[in-house]
Order: sequence, then C-alpha cells, then structure tokens
Amino acid sequence: MSSDDEDFVFFGKPIEREEEVTTRKKKAISEASGQLRTSLPVWKQEVTDEEGRRRFHGAFTGGYSAGYYNSVGSKEGWTPQTFTSSRKNRAEVTKQSIYNFLDEDEKADMEGRSVGTSMQFDTFGFTAAEIARKQADKEQQQRPSTIPGPVPDELIVPVTESIGVKLLLKMGWRQGRSIKDSNKNSINDARRQARKAFLALSDNAGSKNAYSKLNEEDDEDVSDPRADDENQFSKTMTAHVFNPKQDLFGLGYDPFKQAPEFREKKRLRMSGKTEMEGYRSLSIKAKVGPGFGIGALEDLDTEDADVYDSGYDFQDTYVQEIEEPSKVKVDTLRILNVKKDDVLPGFKAASKSEGSLERFDPPVIPKDFIPHHKFPAPLGVDDKNAETPPPEVSPPEDNNLRVLVEGVATLVARCGKLFEDLSKEKNQSNPLFDFLRGGNGSDFYIRKLWEERQKRGDQAKLWEDKKPQSSEKLTAEKRGKLLGEKALERSSIETSSLVASLGSVNVQFKLADTFTSTPSANEQGDIRKPFHDDPEKQKRFEQFMKEKYEGGLRTKDSGGSSNMAESARARERLEFEAAAAAIEKGNSAKGKTATNQLLSDLSSGLQFTIGGIEKDKALQSEELIAKAMYPKREEFQWRPAPILCKRFDLTDPYMGKPPPAPRMKSKMDSLMFMPDSIKKAKVEEPVVQDRQEIEKEVENEVEPENVERPVDLYKAIFSDDSDDEVENSTTSNQVVDTEKKIEAANTTLNRLIAGDFLESLGKELGLMVPPENIPLPENKTGSNTAHKESVNANKVNENSLLAEKKIPPTQNVVRNSTNDCLNENLFVDGSKIAVKDSVEDVSKGNISAEVGPGEERYTKTRKSRNYGSSSEDERSRKHSKSRRHKSRKNRSSDSDTDSDSDDYHRRSSSRKKDKEKSSSRRHSSKHHKHRNSSSGKEHSHRRKKSKYDD
Amino acid sequence: MSAANLPRTESNVLRGHEGAVLAARFNANGEYCLSCGKDRTIRLWNPHRGLHIKTYKSHGREVRDVHVTPDNSKLSSCGGDRQVFYWDVATGRVIRKFRGHDSEVNAVKFNEYASVVVSAGYDRSVRAWDCRSHSTEPIQIIDNFLDSVMSVCLTKTEIIAGSVDGTVRTFDIRMGREISDNLGQPVNCISLSNDGNCVLAGCLDSTIRLLDRSAGELLQEYKGHTCKSFKMDCCLTNTDAHVTGGSEDGYIYFWDLVDATVVSSFRAHSSVVTSVSYHPKDDCMITASVDGTIRVWKS
Repeated sequence: MSSDDEDFVFFGKPIEREEEVTTRKKKAISEASGQLRTSLPVWKQEVTDEEGRRRFHGAFTGGYSAGYYNSVGSKEGWTPQTFTSSRKNRAEVTKQSIYNFLDEDEKADMEGRSVGTSMQFDTFGFTAAEIARKQADKEQQQRPSTIPGPVPDELIVPVTESIGVKLLLKMGWRQGRSIKDSNKNSINDARRQARKAFLALSDNAGSKNAYSKLNEEDDEDVSDPRADDENQFSKTMTAHVFNPKQDLFGLGYDPFKQAPEFREKKRLRMSGKTEMEGYRSLSIKAKVGPGFGIGALEDLDTEDADVYDSGYDFQDTYVQEIEEPSKVKVDTLRILNVKKDDVLPGFKAASKSEGSLERFDPPVIPKDFIPHHKFPAPLGVDDKNAETPPPEVSPPEDNNLRVLVEGVATLVARCGKLFEDLSKEKNQSNPLFDFLRGGNGSDFYIRKLWEERQKRGDQAKLWEDKKPQSSEKLTAEKRGKLLGEKALERSSIETSSLVASLGSVNVQFKLADTFTSTPSANEQGDIRKPFHDDPEKQKRFEQFMKEKYEGGLRTKDSGGSSNMAESARARERLEFEAAAAAIEKGNSAKGKTATNQLLSDLSSGLQFTIGGIEKDKALQSEELIAKAMYPKREEFQWRPAPILCKRFDLTDPYMGKPPPAPRMKSKMDSLMFMPDSIKKAKVEEPVVQDRQEIEKEVENEVEPENVERPVDLYKAIFSDDSDDEVENSTTSNQVVDTEKKIEAANTTLNRLIAGDFLESLGKELGLMVPPENIPLPENKTGSNTAHKESVNANKVNENSLLAEKKIPPTQNVVRNSTNDCLNENLFVDGSKIAVKDSVEDVSKGNISAEVGPGEERYTKTRKSRNYGSSSEDERSRKHSKSRRHKSRKNRSSDSDTDSDSDDYHRRSSSRKKDKEKSSSRRHSSKHHKHRNSSSGKEHSHRRKKSKYDD
Repeated sequence: MSAANLPRTESNVLRGHEGAVLAARFNANGEYCLSCGKDRTIRLWNPHRGLHIKTYKSHGREVRDVHVTPDNSKLSSCGGDRQVFYWDVATGRVIRKFRGHDSEVNAVKFNEYASVVVSAGYDRSVRAWDCRSHSTEPIQIIDNFLDSVMSVCLTKTEIIAGSVDGTVRTFDIRMGREISDNLGQPVNCISLSNDGNCVLAGCLDSTIRLLDRSAGELLQEYKGHTCKSFKMDCCLTNTDAHVTGGSEDGYIYFWDLVDATVVSSFRAHSSVVTSVSYHPKDDCMITASVDGTIRVWKS
C-alpha cells in the first residue's frame, strides 16, 4: 500500500468525504471534553452538547431537557420578577413560609384539616393504620434508624383495633380464632344449661340411668367443640408456602432463561418423577389450555375433537413403556430419593418394610365382554311361538266390562304379571274384576292379554333389531352370520315381496298392508330394492315408497328411522327420493336394464353413505368408466402476481399486459345497475311491447302520438287522475295518412327547433319567458298537450331504459325496418324529408310559435269543458318529461350524432327553461291536433293492429 | 435400489410429542428432522442419534405441517389456528405470522429461495406469503379449488396443489397457466418424484396414483393400504424406485414403482401412520403416527 501511495502525486486538497469529516469532528470534540467515548461501554457514555453539557437525562430526573438547563433556576437566578421597590413604596420583606410551596392536599395534611374516618367509626381500621404509619414516619425522622427510607407497610400494624374486632372481642372472640365456632359453643352452652335444669327436675324421680346417660352425652358434647376449636384455630392460621432456594446460583438467576426446554428436563430429573407421569399430566394440560392467537369467543368445536383418538392407543403405548427397563430404573431412583428424604438423622431406614402393599393385577377382562347388560327379551316374546294362542272369544256384552278388560290386559302386558297379581289382590271384593279370578269375561281377558303381548313382543323385537344397527357397525346381517341365522329371503320371484320380505312387522303395518293393495310393489321386484345391501334401509325405503304412492293407514314412526339422527334421516330421505325418482323413470320408460343401471349407479354413488358395501359388478364397471374418464386434464389461464414471479425469480408472463377486467365491484356500478334491474322487472311486459313502437317512432319521427300502447302502468306512475284525458289524447291525435304525417313531422321538428332556438335566444338576451304569461285557458290546453307528450315521454323513458341496457336504438331500427311492411318504408322516406325540411325550418321556429295561439282558441273550448285545471307542479313535471322526450327524439332524428353528455346536459337544464320551451311547443303542437278526425281514429287503429300482427 | 435395501428395521424411536404427530419431515440434507403434532408444538430432532433438539411452541392449535428452508435457518408451519408461522430456527422465535386463511391450514412449503411460503388451507385456497417484506398479506391467493386443499408442492417454477375436489392443479408461474388434473377422487397428499416428472397423489379411496406431469396421464395405481379418512402422506424413495406410504392400520407399505406390487409392508405403529418422509440420500425413512411416536427406519 505504502509503495502504491508513493507512486501517486497529489495535487490540491483532496475532497473529503462527509462522513469522515463528521466523525473526525466528533472525535475532536470528545477528545476536547476529555473523555474517549470508544473506550466506554454504551450505557456509560454520556451525550453532551457542544459545550460539553449533559443533554439527556433519565425519565425521572426531567427527561430530555427540563427547566433552565435542567435546573429549577432561571436566567435571573432566584430573584422574583415581581419584585419592585421604590422610595415611596418600599418593598416589604415578604416572609416565605412553607405553605407557599405546598399543594392544597399537603396543606390540609399539615394543618390536620384532612377529612378521614373518625376513630369512633373506623370499622376496618384503615384510619388507624394511616395514623400509625404517619406516626412511624415521624418517629423515624426524629431518630434515624439504620435502615434508610420509609418503613415498609407490612411492618406497621394498626395500633387500634377496628370496631368490628372490638365487638367480637367483647363477644368472647379471640385473635386467631374463627368466628363460627363461638356461636356453636353458645348453643352447646344453652343446651347444657337446659339439661342441667332438666336434671334438677328429674332428680326427684331418681332415675340414675337417665342421669348417667345424659352425663355421657354431655361429656361427648363438651369434648366435640373443643376438637372443633382446635381445628378451626389451625384453619385460620395463614399457611406460608415456602419455596426454598435449593441451588447455588445467585439470587434471581435463572439458568434456563434462554433455554426453557431444559427446565422441564431438569425438573423431571430432580423430582424423580417418571417420564410417564409427566407425560400424562402434561397431555391433560395441553388439551385444556386455551388456544393462542384464536379469539376467545371461538369455542372448541367438533373439529377440535381428537379424530385420531381410537380409545386404546394411549393405553397401548403406556403398557409398552412400562415394560421398558428404563422405567424400572427411574422407579428405583425415586425410591432411593424417597429414602434419602425420609430418613431422619440418627435413624436408619428399615431394610425390610412391614407395610409393603401387595399388588394385585386387575382382573383380565375377556375380549368379547360387553360392558352393558342386555336383558333377555320379555318372556312373552319367547313364548309367543310355543304358546298356542287362546281361542278367539267374542267380547262380553257388557261394554263397560269389555273396556275394563282391554285396559287391564294392556296394562298387564306392559307391566308384567306382577300388575295382574296386584290388581287381583286389590280388587278381591270388586265384582267388576271377576274376570281376573276366572269369573265373567275371563276368556276374553286371556285372549286380549295374549294379543297385547303379541303386539308388545313384536315391537320389542323390532326395537331390538334396529337398535344395534343404528348405533354400531354390526348390522343385522353380520349378526345373523355370526349366529348362523339364515338371511331373510328377498328374492325377486316372490310375489308379495313387500309383505313377505318384512320379517317382523308390527300390527299397524300389517293392517296398513291389508287395507291397501300393493300391485305396483309386486311388479318391480328387484328394481324396487336399490338398498338390498342394507336390509334395514331397504325396509325403510319400502315404507317410504308406500307412503309416497299409496294411501291407507300409516305408522307414526317410520320403520325404525326414529332412532336415527335427524341429519341422517334427512340424508336418507334424499336418497330415497332419488331412488324413487329413478324407479319411476324406469317405470315410465319400461326399460328394465336402464333402470337397473341407474339404480346401481345410484347405490354405488351413495356408497359412502351406506358404508361397508361390497363392490358389486356395477361398481366395478363404474370404476372402469372412471378410469377411462380420469384423470381429466384441463388448462386455464392463470395470472400470477408480479411479486410472486419476482420472488420465484421468474419473469412475469403477463408483464406489460393490462390487468384483467376487474369484476364490477365499485359502488357506482351497483348503484347504477340496481335500480335499472328493478325497473326492468317492473315494466318488463310493456317494454317488450313498446320496443317496437318506440323504434318505429324513432324511425318515423312523424307521429309521436299515434301509437297505441298500454298506458295504464305509466298512468299509474306518471299521470295522476286524468284517465280519460289520455284516452282522448291518444285517440284523437291520430294521423290518417302519410302526407299528414310528414307534415306532422315537420311541425314537431319545427317545434323542437323553435324551442331550442327560443331557449338560446333567451339565453343570449338574458331573458326568460315566464310561464305565467300564458293565459289560463291556454294552460289548460297546454296541460292536455303536455299530457299527450307525457305519454311520449314515457316512451322515451323506455327508450332510455333500452339504451341503458346497451341495446343501441339504431340496431333496433334496422331490425324493425326489415320487419315492417311497405308503409313503414314510406314513413322512412317521410322522415327523410322531414329532416331535410327541418333544416330550413330552423329559421321559421319563431313563426310557428307565433302561429300557435290562434289555434289554441280552437281547441280551448273543447278541452276546457272536459277537464278541470291540473295543478301547476303536475304540469311542470309533465313538461320536464316531454322535454326529455324531445331531446331524445332530437337525438334519433340526428341519427344518434348527439353524444350522451350532450343529452345529459339537456336534461339537466333548468326547469324554467323547460317551461319556456314547452310553452312554445304547446303552440305548435296544436297545429296538427285539430286535423285529427274521429274517422281517422279507427282507421289508424286498424292499421296499427296489422302492424302488431307483423 | 433393490428391495433388500428398503428401510425396514427400526433404528430409533423419537418420543416426546404428547398426542398425535401429524407430520414429520427431513430437512434438506436429511441430517435433522422436524415433526409437529396435536400438542401444538414443533420439534426438531436428530433422527440418527435419536435426540430431541428443540421445541417450538407458539401455535394455538394443532400444527399440521412444517417445512424448513434449504439452509436450515427458517421454519414455516401451519395448523388449526389458521395462521402460517415463520420461525427462526436458532432462536425459536416467530418472525412473522401470516394471517389470512379463513380456515385451518393443511400444508405449507417454502419455495426454492425461501422467499415465499405457500400454504394450502381448508378454505379452498392456496396462498403465497412473502417472507422478504414485512407485509403479512398474501401476495397471491389462488382460490380456484372447489374443496379443501390438502397438500402443496413447489418446484422452481410451479405450485402444485392437491385438493379434496379431486384435482391436482399445477400453477405454472412462468407460463401463467393453470393445469388441472382431475383424478375423480379426493386427493390427500401429493408428492413430487425426485426427477420432477411425476407427481404422486395419495387419494382417499385407498389408492395412490402416479401421474405424468407433462401429459397428465395416469401411470400407475398403488393399492393395498387403507387411506379413507385421515390426512396421510406418501412419497417416493430417493431413487424413485419405490413408492412408500402409511396406512390407517399402522402399517407401512412399499410398492414397486413400475409394476405396483407391494414389495414390503410391515406394522410400524400402533395407530394411523400420518406421515412418511424419505431421506434425500440414504436409505432411511421417518414415519410419524397418531400414537405419538416418530420412528426412524433404516435398512
């Protein structure tokens, strides 16, 4: 390096790096202040400012920089600033007292003005304790002890006792005793007194025995509370738990602070606990402990249940580990430890312990032992087959007796023979119960009893049959195999499969069967048994089928499914429904093989619910199909996040490409689409009908009012109560021929343009044409026309709706034009002309507006008769609608050259302008109205009809 | 490797877990192994000497999967508490907790550079978490799955995940493609072959299927064991000659890769074998079981 340096020649002053400069400066400063920081450890270094003063202080001594240079002083020293002294007004030497510097509460303390509980009422002794503490403080100040600082609270005990303690002491309570037993003592005392008094009385009688007896009792009584006393005395003493320091480490030193996992080991080794015990206890603890990072409200749900817990696993391992030699070693170690602990100095542990416990192994439980007792079936069931049924006996004539006999029979059947004996005994003298003793009606009783038993036996047997299946895995079939029973026949040859296949059906079931014919049941045979793997289920299914398709009596509990879980039942029901549907399908198609296939598919598809089914051929075939089907490969586009690509050190395949269109999530969208959808739903029907007309209208441009449409909905929405008005306007304003239409087109265009022109003119001149200028009769007609237009406005609404639904109106026009017939073409021509004319008519707008009033008078008379005045705001509303309509039309006439924003602006133009415009329009609208004749009305009607037909 | 070299003799039993051990994994070089279980701990072992080295406690529920970075410096684990934990191996402290899964997290893996943790959860999503930034938000959520995602594997450029909806989905980051192989059976565990060309999918119909990754063809099916309701692992031996997997009856099975015959099977545990992990180089295998033990097998 040095040689290298020598080779270079340096000119000028080298540019120093900033860091170096600063460090050097710092170093210089530190050296100047006389301390070399680097030599000191971090926590001993002091931060000083450029003047070498300490800048940082501890939080308790003022923080960063408090007061005047961290002192209580000021620049002027201690001189108070308020000090003034002049010749006339000499400053008094104010004497400072300590009270000037004390807080309120401190003063109160000093002067003894503090409020506290007076000694008299100091129930809990707090005040006394406080006073004692103060006293101790004072004393300590007077003669300082070796221990500096205030005396710890624990050392100071209140001198006075609380009033409660005083009371108790007066009542005979002493320190360290509990309060309960004194009471008991007093009771005993009272008893003793009473006894003595009794003895004194009975002394005359001289019964020594009684005396001695009582005396004994007395002795016992006396001795008892004493023992109690002692017990309680020991109870009230506070138990001090000592945690002796047994290691040689310094106080508070924890060797396992950094490695807590060794603490456990150390503890285990020290305490000599077996590993196994620790394991057990810990495992219990671990299960109970609260979760970390999981909400407190989140309870342990079913998922938390130990799915692996098969019951015997832990026991297995436990046993295994006991057999290991290490365990024995640990055991002996513990014994040694125990010995060490127990042996007293000077004593030796006995080499042969007397009290060694003889341990017995627990009895070996046989493998097939079931830990619950199964009662044998009631006798009646067993006897049922052997017992010959008693002859059928007609019930006795006495109806009361019959009822009684039946009742008793049922009860006896339910409760057993014992009940019979009891009732026999009870009603020995009762002639009504003769039948129990072989009297009147005994035959009937015997028969009835047998029947009842039969019934009960059936039910019991049913119950027995079903219970194990639902609760355990052992199915009836399995058990049957174990016991060597023959499986119930369930072949397809059997004619009455339903009745015969049910091995044990209860009486109700039988009854139901006899009441209903089962023709359909016999037809299918095998098909109707989609669950033949599980006879129980099949049974239930059959019942389900019966309930579904047949009438008749029904059993309340659905074939043993009552002991199933609700969810299981629901699932099964779904399965049944599916199976039933499949069967029905098969029936209708008459394709047996197809149904079979379907059913087998079904059953195999439901395999996991049925459980433990052997694979049949169908399943295998399905597997083959599955094999052919799977694995299925599909490919999709997937967009990895750029950061993910970066982290995987790959280039983003979608780099530079715009992100996929996000789903419409923004609030705006939902706001805009939601009401539309609602509207759509509302006016769906009219929309469909109207669409054509609107388009036609758009296309035609000539006859805005001539279209007949279902107005009632709009009436409901937009117009208030002028029903006939609408009718009138729609019917009366129909144009007869095309020439007229063209004219009308011209006028409407004129009107529109004139309106716009007027509006713009008004704008330019800063004038507004107030609607009030229009005379009242004109208003009326205006309302009429306005209404007429409002109808159109509705259409426009529709139109705008359509537009919002992204159906471009131009498209519809095209479609319409192809659909419609010749006269439509004529209209198109007309509209073209109209458009042409409209350009010229712009200048004539004023004129047409002026023409208006003359015609007004013409219609006025007629209209005013019909209607009352419509309210102003209603009118204005209509106007606004009509204006929208106009703008809309404008747009269509310009073949949609108007931008949406333009349209929007128009819409949002003020109402006043609106009125002004509409007023001008009103004039012109009359222009073609009066031409309408009643004869043309019908004509146009007919024409429209034909249009619809197209 | 011939069948004779299969690790069939027990060399060590690692005890310490209180309750079921849900996963046991070798580290990258096979020197150490990690296990996690129902006792909410992760344990680091030296399986060859049978030593328990360290316990990592912080999970609030059972720990279902654990993975260690190739440089052995960081761990990631996941479990029933819906979080993915990112640990420092040496200090045993949690560096980061990634919250975001709506449900239990079944599997977790680091990518090659240990910069991303990819987790698969019961909430039908696979999420990728960034270890480099301080953000605890997932950098990618893949929620195309129709059911719980049970297992996830990473290659240099792909994320492969198996789901109960029966699909093994490969997300190719480089291509920006998702390839979904529908097996028709719930996929319990997926594992890559060492050459990376095949993926082994343990299905819940007690069948392990071997898929060709490029074409998506089913190459072989391995049967004989029981795997119907537990999350269990399967893997290939380090030579790709055999397929190994546990069974719900505590057995371990070895199949020949090509002809799918059971080469060997023996009872290893008293209960469900939840996890198997094969040593990357030696003939050594660790198995974890519900009986609370991890057993080390050598040939």
